[in-house]
Amino acid sequence: MVITTRPLDELVSVISGEGRLNMVSAPRLREAVAAAIAGGRPRIVVDLSSIDFMDSSGLGALVGCLKTARQAGGDVRICTPSSQVEMVLQLSNLDRILTSYGSPEEAYRA
Amino acid sequence: MPEGILTLRSPEDDINVVHDFIERIWGENPDLSVMDRLRFETAFIELAANVIQHADEGNGIVADISITIDGDCISGQISDSSPAGMVDLAMREMPDENAESGRGIAFIQRLVDVFHYERREDENLWIIQKRREQPQAC
Repeated sequence: MVITTRPLDELVSVISGEGRLNMVSAPRLREAVAAAIAGGRPRIVVDLSSIDFMDSSGLGALVGCLKTARQAGGDVRICTPSSQVEMVLQLSNLDRILTSYGSPEEAYRA
Repeated sequence: MPEGILTLRSPEDDINVVHDFIERIWGENPDLSVMDRLRFETAFIELAANVIQHADEGNGIVADISITIDGDCISGQISDSSPAGMVDLAMREMPDENAESGRGIAFIQRLVDVFHYERREDENLWIIQKRREQPQAC
């Protein structure tokens, strides 16, 4: 999986993944989020639009990232999940704490 | 006849080899509904990941993986030659929202119709089955 990080504004980072978020790639997502927080942008948007599959390891990484970001005074929000990712979020009831937005820009607009 | 058979050797092969195997089978069976594919693949990847993670006692694992599709059902089987593990397939609660692990078996139980384990001679045999939403005439 390819992961890229870009700043959205002074406090927000957009982290985009491409491919499968599974037991192989999940540690890389955790590293990318930790690096964004260390770089001074603890408000994270994980752009899931190009993630075509997520398993429970990927979901665990998202939960871990959320906890790390909140400890640093930030948050993790997600945008544009695929049908499979949405199914997994609903099945685990994590759609209640990982609210999904229509785009990275919308995630921290409110 | 099985639709496909894969021999997985871990750690050389990782879970992406199983993903690629499933994708090839989906490509050969375009009549499967999207929801059947999503639910089966999600469950089967959880099972394969579980086998890769927990069956290895340091010497790696070899597992035979097969998927069969008929008019009513998608079936997947994994047999591995690791020692028998502690397997509890009683219905699992979904872990709470702060948990970072422990959802794999609960997912499988909610996504497919049959989830079966048995120790057969010197192998672990895992079977999952998903009934098709729109059964096809054979």
